[in-house]
Amino acid sequence: MTDFLKAYSIQYWLESCPQGYLEDTVHGHGPDDHEPDALLEDPTLREQAIRTTVQLVAGERCALAASSGLINSAPDEASKRFLATQTLDEARHVEVFTQRLYDLGVKPRELEDVIAAYANPHLIQFAELLLEKVDAKDFVAGVVGQNVILEGMAFSVFEMMETVNREANPKFARTLAGTIADERRHVGFGENRIGSLVREHPEKKNEIETMQEEMSYHMLATFADQFRSPEMRAERKAAQQVGNWNQGKAPEWQGVDLRAADPKEIEQALADTILVAFKERLGRIGLDYRTPRQP
Amino acid sequence: MSEGQDIHALPPPEFERRVRSFEHWFDAVEGYLGGLHNGHAPIEEEPLDDAERARLVRVLASYCVGESAALEGASGLVRLAPNTPFRIFLATQVADEARHLEVLLARISELGFAHPEAEVERCAAPGIVRFKQRLLELIDAGEWESALFAQNVMLESMEYVTFGAHARTADPVTRDVLERVLRDERRHLGFGENEIGRLLASRPAAADRLRVVKRELDALVLDTFEDAAREIGLSASEGPELGRAYLQAVARLGIE
Repeated sequence: MTDFLKAYSIQYWLESCPQGYLEDTVHGHGPDDHEPDALLEDPTLREQAIRTTVQLVAGERCALAASSGLINSAPDEASKRFLATQTLDEARHVEVFTQRLYDLGVKPRELEDVIAAYANPHLIQFAELLLEKVDAKDFVAGVVGQNVILEGMAFSVFEMMETVNREANPKFARTLAGTIADERRHVGFGENRIGSLVREHPEKKNEIETMQEEMSYHMLATFADQFRSPEMRAERKAAQQVGNWNQGKAPEWQGVDLRAADPKEIEQALADTILVAFKERLGRIGLDYRTPRQP
Repeated sequence: MSEGQDIHALPPPEFERRVRSFEHWFDAVEGYLGGLHNGHAPIEEEPLDDAERARLVRVLASYCVGESAALEGASGLVRLAPNTPFRIFLATQVADEARHLEVLLARISELGFAHPEAEVERCAAPGIVRFKQRLLELIDAGEWESALFAQNVMLESMEYVTFGAHARTADPVTRDVLERVLRDERRHLGFGENEIGRLLASRPAAADRLRVVKRELDALVLDTFEDAAREIGLSASEGPELGRAYLQAVARLGIE
């Protein structure tokens, strides 16, 4: 076990991140990158960008609290050190997405009010379910919730958003690409370490599977609120009227043209991609996937 | 921050936001952690006899417990912190402390011990083990101010004083490891002193609880100094200096 964890050491982190994909970045993007003028000048687009970014900040704050909270209940020093690198990654994500809110015109003194106003209630409940396990020092459930469910969701959401922003907003796309690279490391740790712990504690399976079912429901409900909202439709309508929305290669993700598709179709593709990945990954670590109720 | 801009010239709120950021941490460590292996530069080992090696491993084992306390303490403080800039600073401290633990365990391995964690279990001084337990109890009790004081003032002062004294007498490889660790400890101590100083200025009554914590933990700190002074070979007159330096550092905040 310890050998594979060497790839997750602080030394590895220092070698791979500061000298790798974070080199020459400022707040996760190139020093000369800016939010597109069209986005900053259009109130509908700007507000929707703030709304979306608030969900990212809320999710990353949860990940920061969970990864740091899990260190004290980790069963070995190597896992503690890996979680320390994850804590730092999550803090960086909180910082870069918070900075994006500032770049979108949110004032530092308004930050908490803006987050409170826009954070989706289901996303908050999703986070609370995970942090309950962390506070109870339940390492096995906490790592499944954090590194399989939360990170699995974040990975696909970021991947989809990076695809749609690659041409439309290269600054935001680069920030997302850096976070995706981090999430890839985190997801790997969850699978490797947790499989052996689930085998050691079969009595915990039911509780963890219930948590997965509940967290999955709140994730789907968050997506439903976002993709079915009038604000999302207004944003897409506004985007089609500005700049280079219809120029360049169509951003395709999981076989869906993200520019042309109806928001409901994108929601379905996102939910399906994540739930299929949950099922596969939970199976690999010895847990049975439970289908969540639909919002 | 633009090149050449003096961070100390920034208005206080902007200065505080910057120094607690991931970006600031990133810039700070980039300079002294590049190109290292196991936390030190490629330096030739100085031969140590068996007794010297055993003494060094004993003191490194105690340092590992101190760093493990700091790692678990800082990670627990992330949840208790009252705002996001504090959480981000503490997250960088979590990574620093984990690096310290990693390089100290690696140093024990370099000294010929295949299972460094077992050496830590076997050799660590009881005072620091007890300090770790009490620190984590303060965190579990949700005592943000007491835990921050115990962690970022008392523990960090203890490490700063001990590592500084040890670096002056240590073999070249251990000295290099300790000197790089000390650069991080300075940042952590600065954060702790700053925040506890601000707390005491705004709410002087908080000092009463911190005095209780200090009185209880001082005995454990002074025991740890005594063990460390013996293992790092300080003279009879130099040993008590560690305790005095620590007490002076903490007294700067007005907590006697």
